[in-house]
Amino acid sequence: MRTIRIGLLLGLRQIQRANIWTNILIIFVMTLTFLNLIAVSGLLVGLIVGSERAFREQSIGDVLISAKPEERTILGTQEIVRMLETYPEIQSYTVRYIEGAQAEANYKERRDLRAERDVVNTRLRGIDPLVEDATTGLSKRIVEGSYLDPNDEGKILVGSYTLEKYASGFGDVFDTMSNVSIGDSIRVTVGDASKEFIVKGVVQSKVEDVSMGMFIPEKEFRRVFGRVDRNADQISIRMKPDVSEDVLKASLVESGIERHAKVETFAEGTPKFLTDIKNTFNLLGTFIGSIGLIVASITIFIIIFINALSRRRHIGILKAVGIERSVIELAYVTQAAFYAITGSLIGAAITYGFLVPFFDANPINFPFSDGILVVETMSTITRTLTLFVITLIAGFVPAWIIARQNTLNAILGR
Amino acid sequence: MITATNITRTFTTGDIETKVLKGITVTIDTGDFVAIMGKSGAGKSTLLYQLSILDQPSTGDLVIDGTDVLALSEKEKTAFRLNTLGFVFQDYALVPDLTARENVMVPLLMRNISWNEAKILADAALDSVGLAKKYENLPSQLSGGEQQRASIARAIAGKPKILFADEPTANLDTFSGTQVIELLGKLHAEGQTIVMVTHEPEYTHVCTRIIEMEDGLVVSDKLQ
Repeated sequence: MRTIRIGLLLGLRQIQRANIWTNILIIFVMTLTFLNLIAVSGLLVGLIVGSERAFREQSIGDVLISAKPEERTILGTQEIVRMLETYPEIQSYTVRYIEGAQAEANYKERRDLRAERDVVNTRLRGIDPLVEDATTGLSKRIVEGSYLDPNDEGKILVGSYTLEKYASGFGDVFDTMSNVSIGDSIRVTVGDASKEFIVKGVVQSKVEDVSMGMFIPEKEFRRVFGRVDRNADQISIRMKPDVSEDVLKASLVESGIERHAKVETFAEGTPKFLTDIKNTFNLLGTFIGSIGLIVASITIFIIIFINALSRRRHIGILKAVGIERSVIELAYVTQAAFYAITGSLIGAAITYGFLVPFFDANPINFPFSDGILVVETMSTITRTLTLFVITLIAGFVPAWIIARQNTLNAILGR
Repeated sequence: MITATNITRTFTTGDIETKVLKGITVTIDTGDFVAIMGKSGAGKSTLLYQLSILDQPSTGDLVIDGTDVLALSEKEKTAFRLNTLGFVFQDYALVPDLTARENVMVPLLMRNISWNEAKILADAALDSVGLAKKYENLPSQLSGGEQQRASIARAIAGKPKILFADEPTANLDTFSGTQVIELLGKLHAEGQTIVMVTHEPEYTHVCTRIIEMEDGLVVSDKLQ
């Protein structure tokens, strides 16, 4: 207690009497270190989390019911739908019929049958436009034309990356249709069945399912492509806010749904490569942050070392008048702690008060996602504690080196 | 109070050995005001550092207040200095970040004295050296003489059994030097045992005993 009291007094007075600009500079370095440690990895992880979030909101939903591996479709889809209606924690759900399809644009103009066909391979989805929109907000992705009406016949929404004018930036990465505009006809073939559709709208998203897919009303899909059993391929469920998808999944499993279909929460359904990329980016961010941490600890070490060295004589005198070494060491550790705490607090204020809201409102526009800043509380606490402990060590070591020197040599400066 | 027997101190630099103290035997009694005098290089400050256990003699025995101090560990020596000895240094040696009051308080707090009591004792010590209105002044806001008096206040606030002063007037003008010496004389009159190193004979009139050194040896030891 005595050591802490006197150590704090000496340490705080040194901070108080130090040059204000020196203090500001050190705190600035600590703030940058905090931001480097928290924000860099947060932005890297945010690239993937932004992609995951979009994937969740626009495609998979919070819980996804799909066909069992050994089945083509969800067996007893209508029975499952009736069951879902009884769950109050479900905000909305959308039933999707999906088939691999080929869309062709120039089939009318192509006189020479040997000439190249303007085709694109895609996944055609039959949806109820209203519930799909309620669940995934598909209508908000319209960039040209208009959204589907449930009673539309012969109308189709096409993903922007199926059209050359939207996908030109990707070069030859995937096939596209040329010269297709709103109101043009395209021919869609699924298996042996073909039908002409008029392009009613173009949807654009960074989610591949949307931007590379096509959408028609589910009634027409079932009728044209022979899905008379009404068994769907996907049911995407959106939960009410603050309701756990794990609880819903457990309840669905308990009701025996797994006899007919596979149920996955979003986390379970996230592709492994996304999780791997996220972990890799996190590691990369930690590595970059660690370099900053080392630089900051060296900075603190040098500052405290110079400070202690320039006060070597005073340290000797304090020891001569009976002040224990531990008190002197604590005084310097107090300074280091002050810089670490103040820098971290300012860094946290900037992160949570400015950077996170800013990137939420203005995501970084990457080709495959809207990058946000992901700052998890536990991770922040862990990294802040790491910064704090390393700074304390960087403050303690030079104080320990100087304070352990012979008292008389310190006083006489020899 | 202090019994030093056959104290030697040798410094080694590379292959060169310099014997600064060549076997000093001296006894200082309670209530003495001893001046250690001599020319530069005579070994007077080195002797003071041995007697005040700031340094470790090469050979010899040293007993202070009944304690064989050379057998103590570094930590025990620090505690011994805190509880038994007081120091006044040539260049005041106040902590520049602390006020005069805080400089005096720190060793008191180290003795586990409460904050309030330490403050009262510090103020009383500063009052006694004539710094009643300078409690909150930083060392840089005090003159040289005032700083030395604050240093004396720090040394005496804990009521040490022995007060060591290493050329306390060396950095002061005559007026301030005289004030400091008179202050030490007053403390001695109140019963304080003092050992002072000085090379200025005009400041020895308050001393009861003068030890003259030359070339690492005591050449005279006279009462006055």
